[in-house]
Amino acid sequence: MQGLASYVLRRLLLVPLILFIVSVVTFALGRYAPSDYVEIQAGPSARPETIERIREERGLNDPIHEQYVTYISNFLRGDFGTSVRYRGVDVEDVIFPRLWITLQYNIAVLLLTFVIGIPVGTWAALRRGTWMDPLSIGTFVLFASVPVLVSVPLLQWLFAVQLGWLPTGGWESREILGVEIGLLSAEAILPVMALTLLGVAGLARYMRAQVLDVLDQDYVRTARAKGLNEYPIVTRHVVRNALLPIATLMGFELAALITGSIILETLLGIPGIGLYAYESIGSRDYDSIMAIVLIGAVVFQLAMLVVDVAYVFIDPRIRLSAEASA
Amino acid sequence: METRRLVLTLTGIGVALIVVLGGLSIALLATGGGDEGGQTTSDSNNDGGVETPQLPDRVEGELRLFGGDPITLDPACASDADSAVYIVEIFSGLVSFDRELNVIPDVAESIDVSPDGLVYTFHLRKNVVFHDGSRRVVADDFKFSMERALNPDTQSTVGEVYLDDIAGVDEFITGAAEEVSGVKVINDDTLEITIKEPIVYFLDKLTYPTAYVVDRREVGDATCFEGADWTLNPNGTGPFKLKEFVLGQRIELEPNTDFYLDPKPSLQQVTYLLAGGSALVMYENDEIDVTGVGVNDVERIRDPNEPLNAEYQTGANMSTDYIGFNTQEPPFDDPRVRKAFAMATDKQLVAETVLMDILLPAKGILPPGIAGYDETYEGVPYDPEAARALLDEAGGPELFDDVTLLTSGQGAAPSEALAAVTALWEEDLGVSIPIEQEEFGIFLRDIDQGNFKMFSLGWIADYPDPQNFLDIKLHSESSNNETQYSNPEVDALLERARAEKDEAERIRLYQEAERLIVEDSPWVPLFHGQDSVLIKPYVKNYTNAPFVIPRLRYVSIER
Repeated sequence: MQGLASYVLRRLLLVPLILFIVSVVTFALGRYAPSDYVEIQAGPSARPETIERIREERGLNDPIHEQYVTYISNFLRGDFGTSVRYRGVDVEDVIFPRLWITLQYNIAVLLLTFVIGIPVGTWAALRRGTWMDPLSIGTFVLFASVPVLVSVPLLQWLFAVQLGWLPTGGWESREILGVEIGLLSAEAILPVMALTLLGVAGLARYMRAQVLDVLDQDYVRTARAKGLNEYPIVTRHVVRNALLPIATLMGFELAALITGSIILETLLGIPGIGLYAYESIGSRDYDSIMAIVLIGAVVFQLAMLVVDVAYVFIDPRIRLSAEASA
Repeated sequence: METRRLVLTLTGIGVALIVVLGGLSIALLATGGGDEGGQTTSDSNNDGGVETPQLPDRVEGELRLFGGDPITLDPACASDADSAVYIVEIFSGLVSFDRELNVIPDVAESIDVSPDGLVYTFHLRKNVVFHDGSRRVVADDFKFSMERALNPDTQSTVGEVYLDDIAGVDEFITGAAEEVSGVKVINDDTLEITIKEPIVYFLDKLTYPTAYVVDRREVGDATCFEGADWTLNPNGTGPFKLKEFVLGQRIELEPNTDFYLDPKPSLQQVTYLLAGGSALVMYENDEIDVTGVGVNDVERIRDPNEPLNAEYQTGANMSTDYIGFNTQEPPFDDPRVRKAFAMATDKQLVAETVLMDILLPAKGILPPGIAGYDETYEGVPYDPEAARALLDEAGGPELFDDVTLLTSGQGAAPSEALAAVTALWEEDLGVSIPIEQEEFGIFLRDIDQGNFKMFSLGWIADYPDPQNFLDIKLHSESSNNETQYSNPEVDALLERARAEKDEAERIRLYQEAERLIVEDSPWVPLFHGQDSVLIKPYVKNYTNAPFVIPRLRYVSIER
């Protein structure tokens, strides 16, 4: 397993470099965007000279590289700066509760997507050639091509306005064993439903293609020739092998879900990290934007790393080659 | 083979579409369809009481509202209405507005004004204590709070806007003086404020949170941009205490039982929901007790057969939406051109057809409710032929080749009302003016720097005085005069009005100035604001105020 350890180490060493590039680009984009938070929050009634004075005092007139160095040295010492959207509140006090909200429903979506998507995709592949196959592909294509921007208002209209079963949006947390949990309230159903529909459709389509691919492999033919029953063939040989590429998908899926939360949360008024990112950009909340982007980049890097490592355990062939090199 | 698969797949998509659309229409049919259907379902659900999602249980005497997520709860820093709504309930100042919009003594018990109108003496109540009960409020607390708002280190963008009439402010800001000489503590119960000029609306400006009192032991050296943790648990003096503030989610207030004014708050709790979907649906599901009504729903609510109609109220909100011109650059430096646009704008038509009358067409600049508003004033009447003739005289439609109408907004289509206004110009004047949307920050900057030909904006009263519109927005030396309009005659009238003590004469001066301005047309006034709200019948005495005033202490729940 030494090969694996050094691989992980090499990957981890890359993380700071990637974060550095991400931070420079984000910082520069923010500062070069027109206007700044003092001007925006002061609104039309404040005096230009007051705005200029505050800008000067807050260091917004300093050369950009000086501002960057100040920011990064604070960041490395664990000071994420102060929010502007919630004036003067520490960024970490705003961001982590919100990140938790976004994570809660995204994890639920991810689990549901895999629990439903894999059997459905497999089932569709096994029915190839019957009338059910194109019908199921058609359904997948339709749901996978409806963006959240369209599906959420539709679901809102149907379940909240017409039927009155669900709230139109928002988020309600309850304290359970000292942790604020919002996943158990009715508010969580709409976002989970909208994202799961999209996720299941995409995953099932992908899974179907993988299963079809595996079904054509020699070892499946061998298994059939041996006279094995269809059930063990499917579970032991087909699905297991088809799942390999899906593991990679899982990491990307999580990252995509979190970035996709910007639209979803804005539509549903969910006070998660996505809505906050949207508000921060609008109010030029530099410190918040930086923190969100950097935390996002770390999460993404780690997710990719976990997937790569998981691969080694799922796929015996990769493990063998790792051991061989050791 | 390939064709067969393709046909089958397309059939599959088709069948799926039919299933989805079919499901939707069945759902529609099952609920009776249309708006009435929506009403019946939510009613039946409420009766059933099982399916309707409910928030955590209500407390007896609790008022539930939909609230804006405030930017700050620091009175010295707040510059937006979303923040002020909470601040005026949690904190208090020397004076405030009552429900009839009169300035009343608040922490002050009485106020003496010197004959020359320069010195205000505030006699403070002796029974005003901070929420934690630790200490009574004394005159020095006000001096501290006002100087804190003005101190450049506090980095408030509004301190100077609301307090700069006080003598000695300029020296204090530049650092030439250690204190504001115009704010004098005579003793614990007496505060004396001297102002630079004898303006009559000084007390109106003091009602704004910038002049409110804060607990110096708590704020420490917190500025408007750093160290705001104290605002999550503020020790105020207002009618309500902040019980809990979960950023982005909810704000809970509880009554201050030691409040010093009558009526004392009777609500047991006020819960503001800061996140959520459609406010109207939440209202119909009894999740909130008050909601605004937008243009899309107003027709349904106005229908006398609609059950919600009985809960519908409207009230003026003292604001004016307008089109502003850059009066210093061609083509709009020519008053004839501006006037032609004003004459070609049929606000009546746009208000009726596009806005379903949720806003009132504006003839002058002053909105209803502000002294000086004159119902009979006709402004610049709609006259397309005269407008066209005037425009041709000034140079014709060719002048407007690269003119755009600047507006703030992003993404979605611009406001339908603005689109209607530009369509009218095209029809009546033969000029086609595209609407250019800019993100809010960029828009503000362009307006500040005069980087525009024409723009669309609104102004809402901070206090109910014509000065707050005419002097602030259209005096040539005001920093808020985006159109850079300059008319010495108007300036002279506005300056005379500032100190005029005879109320009738003062209002007459403002009206005269308003008429001159409307004729010069630096603005085309479009609409006056109006709040359309639904209020549950068990909520009593909820004032639909035209601007932010402390109002929750009057409200009660009677089921």
